[in-house]
Amino acid sequence: MKSTIRFLMLLLWSGLAGTVALAAQAADIVVGTSVALSGKYARTGQEQLQGFQMWVEEVNARGGLLGRKVALKYYDDESKPETGAKLYEKLITDDKVDLLIGPYSSDVTMAASTVAEKHNFPMVSSGASASEIWERGYKNTFGLYTLAELYMDQILEYGKSKGLKKIALVYENTSFPRGVASGVRSKAKALGMQVVYDEEYGKASTDFTSTIVKIKAKKPDMIIGGSYLPDSTAFVRQAKENRLYAKIFAFAVGPGLPDFGKNLGLDAEGVMGNTQWEPTLKLPGAKEFSDKYKAKYGHEPGYHAGGGYGAGYVLEEAVKKAGSTDRNKVREALFALDSVNAFGRFKVDKTGKQIGKPAYAVQWLNGERHIVFPVDAATAKVVYPFKDWAKR
Amino acid sequence: MEEILDPIILGQLLIGGLLAGALYALLASGLNLVFGVMRVINIAHAEFMLVGAFGAYVLYTAFGLHPLLALFIVVPAVFGFGWFVQHALVERVVGQPMLTSLLATYGLSIVLLNIGVLIFTSDFKGVPALTGSLVFGEFVLPKPRAVAALVSIVFAVGVYLFLERTRLGKAVRAVSEHPHVATICGIDTKRIRMLTFGLAGAMAGAAGTMLSMIYSFAPESGADFIQKCFAIIVIGGMGNFAGALYGGILLGVVEAFVGGFLSTQWAEATAYLLLVLVLLIRPTGLKGAALAR
Repeated sequence: MKSTIRFLMLLLWSGLAGTVALAAQAADIVVGTSVALSGKYARTGQEQLQGFQMWVEEVNARGGLLGRKVALKYYDDESKPETGAKLYEKLITDDKVDLLIGPYSSDVTMAASTVAEKHNFPMVSSGASASEIWERGYKNTFGLYTLAELYMDQILEYGKSKGLKKIALVYENTSFPRGVASGVRSKAKALGMQVVYDEEYGKASTDFTSTIVKIKAKKPDMIIGGSYLPDSTAFVRQAKENRLYAKIFAFAVGPGLPDFGKNLGLDAEGVMGNTQWEPTLKLPGAKEFSDKYKAKYGHEPGYHAGGGYGAGYVLEEAVKKAGSTDRNKVREALFALDSVNAFGRFKVDKTGKQIGKPAYAVQWLNGERHIVFPVDAATAKVVYPFKDWAKR
Repeated sequence: MEEILDPIILGQLLIGGLLAGALYALLASGLNLVFGVMRVINIAHAEFMLVGAFGAYVLYTAFGLHPLLALFIVVPAVFGFGWFVQHALVERVVGQPMLTSLLATYGLSIVLLNIGVLIFTSDFKGVPALTGSLVFGEFVLPKPRAVAALVSIVFAVGVYLFLERTRLGKAVRAVSEHPHVATICGIDTKRIRMLTFGLAGAMAGAAGTMLSMIYSFAPESGADFIQKCFAIIVIGGMGNFAGALYGGILLGVVEAFVGGFLSTQWAEATAYLLLVLVLLIRPTGLKGAALAR
C-alpha cells in the first residue's frame, strides 16, 4: 500500500512541476531557474523569485539585454535537492536556456550546481551560503550571499563582550544550517567560549520539546539555531512554553523574515538573527527597489527578495561586459566583476565564493526587525539581555 | 548524558510526551473509526485536520476569535464537511476493493491540498494565541499543549462513550461488526456511515484547531501527520477505536523519551521503529484482531 502511495505521489509531483513554466519567445534571452514554491523553503523561494522577476521587468523596460528581451523560465523544485537537480538538467538540455540563476537554499544549490558544472554552465547563485558549495573545485557557481559560517560571528562577539560563556547550538541536518553550526563552533573556540549543547535535527522537525528540556539542564547563556523559518518559529514558541531562558536567542533565516513577527506576535521581541540585506541599507537603488516591491506585493522585501533582485543585476552586468551570452565569456566576466548593486557588493574569489559582502545581524524590537550589527549600518541599538518569558 | 536521568528532566519529558500523545490519539482515533466502520482508509484525514487548522487561523486573523472559541464553529463545520464528503464521494467506494477507496481518498487529499495552496499559498502559518506555560514547582505545563490534550481527551472519551453507551453508537458498532446483519436489523447503514465520517472529520478538525496553536503549519503539512497516524492505528490495532488512543499516547511518550535520550532525529523515526516492533511481536496491533475475522 505504502509503495503504491509513494508511486502515485511521484506521478503527481512530476506532473505538477511541469505546470508553472512560462512560455518564452525564440528571440528572447531566456534565463532559467528553479525555486521552492512549495515545501519547507516555499516562502523564501517565492520572495527570491519575486525579486528576480522585478529585475526582469525593469531590464525589459530599459530595452532588454544586448538589445533582446529577457524572458524567465522557472519551475518549482518543491524544496528538494533531487528535484532541483532534475530541473536544472531540463533547463539546460531541454529548454536550452541562455543564462542560469541558482535555486533557493544551499541544499538545493549543492545539487543544482553539480548539474551546472557538468554542462560547464555559469550559474549566478542567490540564496546559497554554505561554504561547502565552493569547496569542490567547481568553476561555475557564483555566490551572492555572505557565507553561512560567518552568520553568527557578530552576535557571538557581542555575547563575548558581555562576558557570556556557554552556548547551546541546534541546527537542521542540511548544508546551510550545518555551515552556520560549524561557523559557530570555530568562532566560539576562537573567542574562548564553550558549546555546551550541540544537536542536529531533521528537516521536518517542528517539535523541539525534548531538546529544549535537555538544553534547559545545561543553563546556557546563548541559544543559537542554524534554522530556517518554520523551525525557528516553532523553537521560539516552544522555548516560551517550556520557560527556556538565555541572555541571547539568535536564529538563522527566520528572524530575517516578516513572517517571523507575524507568526510569533509579541514572542518575537528581542530575538536576534541574521540578514543578508535590509531595505534600510545605504546601497544604490535599494530604497527604490524596496518601495516598488512593497507597492507591488504589499509587504517590505526581505533579503531573499533583495538577493533575487541583486542576482539579476549581477547577471546583467556580466552579460553586458561579456557582450554575449556565451558561457565562457559570461563566466570570465563574473570572475572579474567587482561592483555594487542594490543588494550590495559582488566580488568573488577564484572558486566563485562571495568575498565582497559583509554580514549583518538583526533583532526584533517593538514588532519590527532592525539591523543592530555592524554598528555603522545599525537602525537601532541592541537590546540586552533577552527578557525573561515570565516577566513579559 | 548523566543529567538526563534527573527526575525533573524525566518528568518533563513524560509530560511533553503525554501531551503530544493525546493530540495524536485524537487524530488517529478518527482515522481508525472510519476504517473500523467501513474498511476505508481515509488518506485525506490529515487534510481534514488542516481544514480545522486553517479554519482556526482564518477566524483568528479575520475576527480575532480565540481558537478555543473557534472550536465551536470549526468542529461542526468539519463534521458537516465530512458528512457531505461521505455522501458525495466515499459512499460510492464503500465495499469496493481497498485500492478503490485508497485512490478516492488520495484524490480527495490532493484536491484539498491544492485548494489550500491556492487560498493560503505554501507559507507556514501559526496562531499566536494562548502562548506560554503554567509553572508547577520545577515542572512547566505548556498552556496550548495542555489545553489541546484536555480537548483531545474530552473529544476522545466523548466519542468513546457515544459508541459504547448510546443506541446510535451501538448502531455504529453494529455496522462496523457486520454491515449486512445491521441492514437486516433495520439500521440505515448509509446514514451511520455519514455520521461516522462526520464524527471522524470533527475529531480531525478539533485536532487541527488545537494544532494551530502549537505548530507551524502549511497546506502541505498533512503528509507528516498522516504517516504517523497510519503507524499509530497499526500499532494500536486497525479498526479499534480505543487501540488508536493507546497507540497515540504510546507514540507520544516514546517519541519524547527517544528525543530526550538520543535526538529529535531519532524521535522522528520512532513511529516506524515502533511499528516494526509491534508488527513483529503482535501483528494485529496492541488492541486488536480487526482484520483477523
